[in-house]
Amino acid sequence: MTYYLTTVLVYAAVDILACLAISLQFGVSGIVNFSFIIFQAAGAYTAAVLSLPRDTANGGFQTYILGLNLSFPLPWIAATLVGALLAPPIGLVVLRRLRSDYQAIAMLVLSVIASLVVTNTPAFLGGAAGLSLVPQPLSDKFNPYSDGYLWAYTAGALVLAVVVFFIAQRIINSPYGRSLRALRENEVAAKALGKNAVALKMTVFVVGGAIAGLSGAILVGFITTWAPSTWLYPETLILFAAVIVGGRGNNFGAVLGALLVPVGFEEATRYLPPFGPPGLIPALEWVCIGGLILGFLWFRPRGVLPERRRVFAARPQPVVAGEPNAGRD
Amino acid sequence: MSLIVAAFGFGLVSMSIIAISAVGFTMQFGITNMINLAYGQVMIASAYAAYAVNNAGVSIWLSLPVGAIFGAVFSFLLNRLVYAPFQRKGTNLIGMVIISLAVSLVIANVMLPIVGYYSVSYHQNPGTTYHLGSIALTGEQILIIVLAVVVMLVIYALLRFTRLGKAMRATAANPTLARNCGIPTARVVDLAWLITGALCGLAGTVAGMNSDSFSVASGSEFLIPIIAASILGGAGSPYGAMIGAVLIGEMTEISAAIISPEYKQVVAFAVLVLVMVLRPQGLLAKRGALAAAG
Repeated sequence: MTYYLTTVLVYAAVDILACLAISLQFGVSGIVNFSFIIFQAAGAYTAAVLSLPRDTANGGFQTYILGLNLSFPLPWIAATLVGALLAPPIGLVVLRRLRSDYQAIAMLVLSVIASLVVTNTPAFLGGAAGLSLVPQPLSDKFNPYSDGYLWAYTAGALVLAVVVFFIAQRIINSPYGRSLRALRENEVAAKALGKNAVALKMTVFVVGGAIAGLSGAILVGFITTWAPSTWLYPETLILFAAVIVGGRGNNFGAVLGALLVPVGFEEATRYLPPFGPPGLIPALEWVCIGGLILGFLWFRPRGVLPERRRVFAARPQPVVAGEPNAGRD
Repeated sequence: MSLIVAAFGFGLVSMSIIAISAVGFTMQFGITNMINLAYGQVMIASAYAAYAVNNAGVSIWLSLPVGAIFGAVFSFLLNRLVYAPFQRKGTNLIGMVIISLAVSLVIANVMLPIVGYYSVSYHQNPGTTYHLGSIALTGEQILIIVLAVVVMLVIYALLRFTRLGKAMRATAANPTLARNCGIPTARVVDLAWLITGALCGLAGTVAGMNSDSFSVASGSEFLIPIIAASILGGAGSPYGAMIGAVLIGEMTEISAAIISPEYKQVVAFAVLVLVMVLRPQGLLAKRGALAAAG
């Protein structure tokens, strides 16, 4: 029971982190990052290969690079950094000159290709079988299977989610967040006011990548395995569905979406009596995710908790005729 | 060396399949200004439609039109029931991309329980193998190449010499102006979806014929060389897509011979990245995938 509850909560924390990142990129800035899941995967793989011992350990049944056996929190910090550092090269290719929908397509193709390359290169990150037996953080000091450890891990994950939530909140309420929204609403006008569109997009791309990397590290530290099948490109679409349902551009919406879509779906199907041939339920689940996106974009494109409309008072106008300076400050 | 020459022969077949599909894909973009990411899934659905007929005992060449008609009707309905309503509502470009990806997911997962998870292959007779130096092609592969050439000529004639083709080009260039000139753009768009859908269905079936087997998962695999060829040629330009198909088809097959067949898609992707960095408008288009100046 403890295991079940903590698993649900850790997944919730990871999905909340991912949805906050997508909300910052897609909701606030209008970047459709269809390769989001590879940032999470990069974080997870980084944390895994840094905390695993050399691949000759455990009888050498899996192959991977590095294997530095570093102790917590170094792998998590590195995962966050790798997530952030992955963003500039992708951003430089994609965000500079392409039309917004081609940006999305380029990233989608990248996501497919990345998974293909990792699968076909077993010596790099374990290939199709992936990595397993990833040591849990601090497992040399505590028993990672005790209830206390599980709860502590969950608490840590949730605290990180809350911290990132407040950071995201600060970002969207800052002048920087305002510039991002201006860019989303009207890129030409924002540029005309002297905003550097590419730099603005790139920073939010890096921030989102860092959050994604951290979320991957948290997840792999808990489930201890990671393989290409966990980060196929449709996984990104689940997160987009969550943000669209919750309300893009609104951090509360991102949290709500994370709890409703990825977590909610997983838990709902767990209690469903099995019916039909094997594989029917997962297929129907995907149909529902697609349907959810289409339905929400048609009936409620701004989501359950829409982004707050920001209205700024106009400057006071001169009121008294004949006195040109009246009302000016 | 003879390996590379043999690969060149396979490249001829690859480029034929990519050309048929990429021309349809790029014309959908040119005329409707949206990227239909469900294209690969419609291809695979059409391949299965042809498989149903083929499995009932009909020759694969007679099943081919079934695939094409299925693709045409499917694409037409997809536009009428999903894409066009969203576009009328004023959904922006990135909204449409998300919608088409969601549609692609729905199609794939509705198909899965119906056609099953295992790959299938057509009942076909590849015919005798013809040799020319190191190039060895089956009779069927040669017919696929001939079919592609005929289709390209038909598309060229359609766009160049018919009123419909002229109307399509006008609609692609400026829909508002075309409408104001009295061109029934709604009907032109409907016809465009039927024609491109037929190309999509045809390409799906031909791709199924050329590979040993196919499954629902093949849909997203098809899409990468198509996207690469379209963007390389210049998104929205049918002739560009033909050139792109020739280049991508040969490059992927020759690299498969030199490096490894597993990295075919990676080579297509590398080309895509180069084009996006150096020339986002592609070889032949003015705009292509380039963002509006601002």
